[in-house]
Amino acid sequence: MGIEISHLQRRFHQSIALDDVSLSIADGEFVALLGPSGSGKTSLLRILAGLDLPDAGSVERDGEDLLVLDARRRGVGLVFQHYALFPHMTVAQNVAFGLRVRPWRQRPRASAIKQRVEELLRRVELEHLSARYPAQLSGGQRQRVALARALAIQPRLLLLDEPFGALDAQVRVTLRRWLREFHRSLGITTLFVTHDQDEALEMADRVVVMNDGRIEQIGTPQDIHRHPATPFVSRFIARGQAIPVEVANGTLRALGRAWPIGGLADERIASIALHIRPQDIFPTQFHREGWQARVLNVRRVAGAVRVSLLLPGVEEPLEAEWNERELLGQAMAAGDAIDVQIQSLTVYGCDAQGRVVASKAFQPPQGASPITLGSWRRLEA
Amino acid sequence: MAATAAAVSIGVRPSRSAGAVRAVLISAALLVLAWLLVLPLVVIFTEALRQGWSFYLDAIGQADSLAAVRLTLTVAAIAVPLNLVFGLAAAWAMTHFAFPGKALLSALIDLPFSVSPVVAGMMLILVFGQDGWLGGWIQSHGVQVIFALPGLVLATVFVTLPFVARELIALMQAQGSELEEAALTLGASGWRIFWHVTLPRVRWALFYGVLLCNARAMGEFGAVYVVSGHLPGLTNTLPLQVDQLYQENFSAAFAVASLLALLTLLTLGLKRWLEWRHGGARNGH
Repeated sequence: MGIEISHLQRRFHQSIALDDVSLSIADGEFVALLGPSGSGKTSLLRILAGLDLPDAGSVERDGEDLLVLDARRRGVGLVFQHYALFPHMTVAQNVAFGLRVRPWRQRPRASAIKQRVEELLRRVELEHLSARYPAQLSGGQRQRVALARALAIQPRLLLLDEPFGALDAQVRVTLRRWLREFHRSLGITTLFVTHDQDEALEMADRVVVMNDGRIEQIGTPQDIHRHPATPFVSRFIARGQAIPVEVANGTLRALGRAWPIGGLADERIASIALHIRPQDIFPTQFHREGWQARVLNVRRVAGAVRVSLLLPGVEEPLEAEWNERELLGQAMAAGDAIDVQIQSLTVYGCDAQGRVVASKAFQPPQGASPITLGSWRRLEA
Repeated sequence: MAATAAAVSIGVRPSRSAGAVRAVLISAALLVLAWLLVLPLVVIFTEALRQGWSFYLDAIGQADSLAAVRLTLTVAAIAVPLNLVFGLAAAWAMTHFAFPGKALLSALIDLPFSVSPVVAGMMLILVFGQDGWLGGWIQSHGVQVIFALPGLVLATVFVTLPFVARELIALMQAQGSELEEAALTLGASGWRIFWHVTLPRVRWALFYGVLLCNARAMGEFGAVYVVSGHLPGLTNTLPLQVDQLYQENFSAAFAVASLLALLTLLTLGLKRWLEWRHGGARNGH
């Protein structure tokens, strides 16, 4: 049960907005669509809301075709990034709109509408502002009015398009927590679009990472952060950095070392990418199996120490991040030579189109045992 | 006026020489305005009243003049609502839909601005005149287009076509479709969206467009001249009546012209009042 999106395809002239997008959302789930601008997330949202139609594919809700219903009858609540409140109506009139415009047979009585509006405004903590006009509200208040207005029609699916995009940082953080709690108390299936990694990882039950109209990975926030399935997700979510790598004769060469590698038999593999995350490089006292790195610069930000390092065999500096405590008071300054250990590297085998077909995360120093590329797990389904 | 606005918006305290420059610019602008706009208006009213109030009232009260007033009002009363509906429909279509021929429609809406009104009138004669493409057929059905009210209305509609549409398209395109989409997902029908969401946001622009459209409809000369036939008391609108009187009775011509001038002043006044009253509300709140 829930929303079942299968093989959606959408093109605009020459550009592909959605490329074979499939996703299932369980009832009551809070799902984030995360991706850079132009990745297709808003296109997907508009199709779900009924404001656009896909070229191919299907969307079902509890087994019922959703695409045959037009936006008016779909029962989907949509909250726009810029709120899209009706400027000539008061807060209460905005919230009541979805109830007032119903055909008169289904329209609640005026007193019932009034009661429902009051209840909704109480829920979003704005009951004292019901007579104001949108122009007289702050951004965060407008966003909550938009939310109340969308909820008034008792939608079975709530869509939020960059709900915090136009707010300043402090309001954003407060509203994030508020919305998460709100969702918990409401239990309505919610899909929200964002380009902000923190927002998606902090709020969502599950995160769907999109890029170039394709879904790169679906998973829980921890899953996506710990095991990015593609180089894109690694870069975008985990700040993964590409390291030059060479593979020949069953040997992977990188960082001035060589490791045996297996599982390359898959003839689809056309290229190999090797990624490292900032927290996977850390300083060590033992320089037997580590690397000698040169510190280029050190920035200390709120308990975190960010360091740019030059490692052997890598021309571009790599970013490392530690917390102050891990450093054990070790002084560190630009120009220092330090020993570092690498906790984890991820190798991706990609096909000619750049899609990952195999991947493996490994800890480098166990030199003898070969790294074997496993088949790539992209979706749970 | 433009000069003061510029000086204020730059926001620098004018130095001595800047003050002098400002004074020169303002007086130059005022001089041009006075010479081109105020002076003619004054001349019209002084000429109209040169032979006294009773002559003035007589000139206006003549049967032919009153008929011209009536005809002008009738033509405007038909042409302006037609263009109001057309303008709304065109603006709605242009803003909310993508369709083949959209660019062509946009160009066509501007066409009356670029075509000489005389040519527009000639075109109507070619189509509806006695020897025109449709003229014979229409006349056989007992309808007279050219040298009659339908022709005057058609000519006026053509000439004033862009006023409402242009005013609305600019505003509606700037506003985008987001509010309409929001209303749609909330379950509103197309009509509801139009009446409760779109119209309230464009009403002042719409009113302004109608005002301009009306001023032009009543003042149109060229296109109407060609299709009218100049039958005093029958097919002479106010501007045509002024023209005809001008050949015969100088002062009477100015008396009737003063009516048109009054209309202009009224339109201007209304527009100013609107801007003052709803200056902040023209783009919503």
